[in-house]
Amino acid sequence: MNGTTLYKFSAPIASILTLTGLAVWSGGLLYYGGNLTIWLPMLAIGATFLVTAASTWHWRSKRSRAAISRYFNLLCGLDPDELRNPDALTHLPNHYANSFWRNIAAQVGRTLSHMANRIEEVEHVRQATDIRARRATADYQHIRAILESLDDPVIAIDKYDELMLANSSAESLLDIDSKNTEKRALGAVLRCQKLVDLLTNTCHCQAADKRSDEIGIRDDREQEKWFRVTASRLMAESDNEYNPEDGTQGAVAVLRCIDDHKALQRRNAEFVSAVSHEMKTPLAGIKAYVELLADGEDDDRETREEFINVINSQANRLQRLVENLLNLARMEAGVVKVDKQSRPLNEVLEEAVHVVQPSAEAKDIQLTVDLSPMYLGILADRDMLLQAAINLLSNAIKYTSQGGQVTLRSRLVDTEVRFEVEDNGVGLSEEDSTRVFEKFYRVNKNKDMAPGTGLGLPLAKHIAEDVHGGRLEVSSTLGQGSIFSITLPSSGQLSQRPVLTRPQT
Amino acid sequence: MSKRVLLCDDEIQIIRAAEFKIKRAGYDVAIAADGQEGWEMIQQQRPDIVVTDCQMPHLDGLGLVKKIRANPETADIPVLMLTAKGYELDQEYLFETLKILELVAKPFSPRELLKSVEQALQEQDTTDPVHT
Repeated sequence: MNGTTLYKFSAPIASILTLTGLAVWSGGLLYYGGNLTIWLPMLAIGATFLVTAASTWHWRSKRSRAAISRYFNLLCGLDPDELRNPDALTHLPNHYANSFWRNIAAQVGRTLSHMANRIEEVEHVRQATDIRARRATADYQHIRAILESLDDPVIAIDKYDELMLANSSAESLLDIDSKNTEKRALGAVLRCQKLVDLLTNTCHCQAADKRSDEIGIRDDREQEKWFRVTASRLMAESDNEYNPEDGTQGAVAVLRCIDDHKALQRRNAEFVSAVSHEMKTPLAGIKAYVELLADGEDDDRETREEFINVINSQANRLQRLVENLLNLARMEAGVVKVDKQSRPLNEVLEEAVHVVQPSAEAKDIQLTVDLSPMYLGILADRDMLLQAAINLLSNAIKYTSQGGQVTLRSRLVDTEVRFEVEDNGVGLSEEDSTRVFEKFYRVNKNKDMAPGTGLGLPLAKHIAEDVHGGRLEVSSTLGQGSIFSITLPSSGQLSQRPVLTRPQT
Repeated sequence: MSKRVLLCDDEIQIIRAAEFKIKRAGYDVAIAADGQEGWEMIQQQRPDIVVTDCQMPHLDGLGLVKKIRANPETADIPVLMLTAKGYELDQEYLFETLKILELVAKPFSPRELLKSVEQALQEQDTTDPVHT
């Protein structure tokens, strides 16, 4: 007999026991006739029945209370797992099994279980939303950080033409106070009307999604900077119930500084103009003298030879110009392969001396070579450095008069290697000293001393500084001579760098 | 007495072609190597016409013509300008302010230059008989 069956029969049993106990007691009282031998046992038997009945009732009520309290704990605790479990209802006290109470309790249980399901769903949605919100915040912060890291100013407006976003580059360029401009009309925030128009037009005119323009903006120092501004319309598609907005949301403009580009364009135009001028001059000579010959203006052989000499020298000049120009352009564009190797500077210099020696002798110039007895290691392209050395030496020879002196020296100076070409020639004025490295610049009063294209020194400077990371400098006194020097990092220095080793313990 | 033509150009070898041609046409020709030298020569002996290059050291062609126009003694000298970059110059300034008669593009033809010089001198004769 299990507990449930016992429980089922416990009520009638307890009732019978109670009634029997009472009956025995009442019988005892009725037949009391002073005969204690009958009355006392009956009293005792009745009491026994009553005690047994009472304890049965007690057991029953204890068990009911426990079941009911458990059931209501279950209901009030709202533990969804336990409630959704159909077995939960079987914990009901069995004496409710077919009762009205059991039906009500089951109904309440089902309702609560349904509610628990809904609550759980809501909890899931809340968690998902939470994650989305956190992810969106993180995304926003990343994108904000990316925008902040841009040097290009970025500015965005919403569809009401109010400032939505500006990165710090935009704030400093356009003088926007980030704290004060939360949602303010763009026209009031920006001084540059062209930029305002571009943004609002992009936002509201459906004709094009993208517009761009070149806009000059004055910075806080009142210097005009030029920007290529590309503005795009911001579109949004309604993707779900949480984001019901559709269509144009605003416009964003990205500003790219094109000052460098403009300066480059200007330099290019200037360069082309200078090149064409330089080419037209020898061409003018050739054409003019050819015409004189064609017109028969050469009366004697001597005149004709003179004309032809001029044509020849101008043609040579043109050829030199074209070659030098090509050389410089190829080198500057990096088309010429640079083959840097560790090599002794003195060897390159000796070779350069060998090349220019004949022209020095032709002018009776004493070429003194004073090379350092030390090993001067440099990391260099032999052909290029040779070219630079030759250019400096032949310049010195060109602009030193007959019988002058040219000296080539090489030295180790601190951690660098230097070679210099000193002459006692015509020298340079202060202005000319700074301008000799400009392309095509030639000192006017010295033009007749020697043919030149005004490209030798710019080429040498490019080789020394851009290709080899050194310096080409000049110090000169007008009428007394010049010293051109090239300083290069020593390659020996690289290998002499102390190697640090971890101390042994 | 033959008319005096002043040629002003820092490319002496090239301007000599013009000198040669103009001299053979019977003019008295002088050459200056830059604007400064040209101005000094003009002050020493007034030429009947000046042909000057534009880009020159010390004093360029425009500076020279400005000086010529500023001085009442020389203000009416006809000027032809030789230049390799005519299109880059302010035409109105050249013709209206500096009263330059003609821009001769470089490379130039000595023959054409002579023609221009002769034409300019003829016009000068008809409009300004004082200096004939």
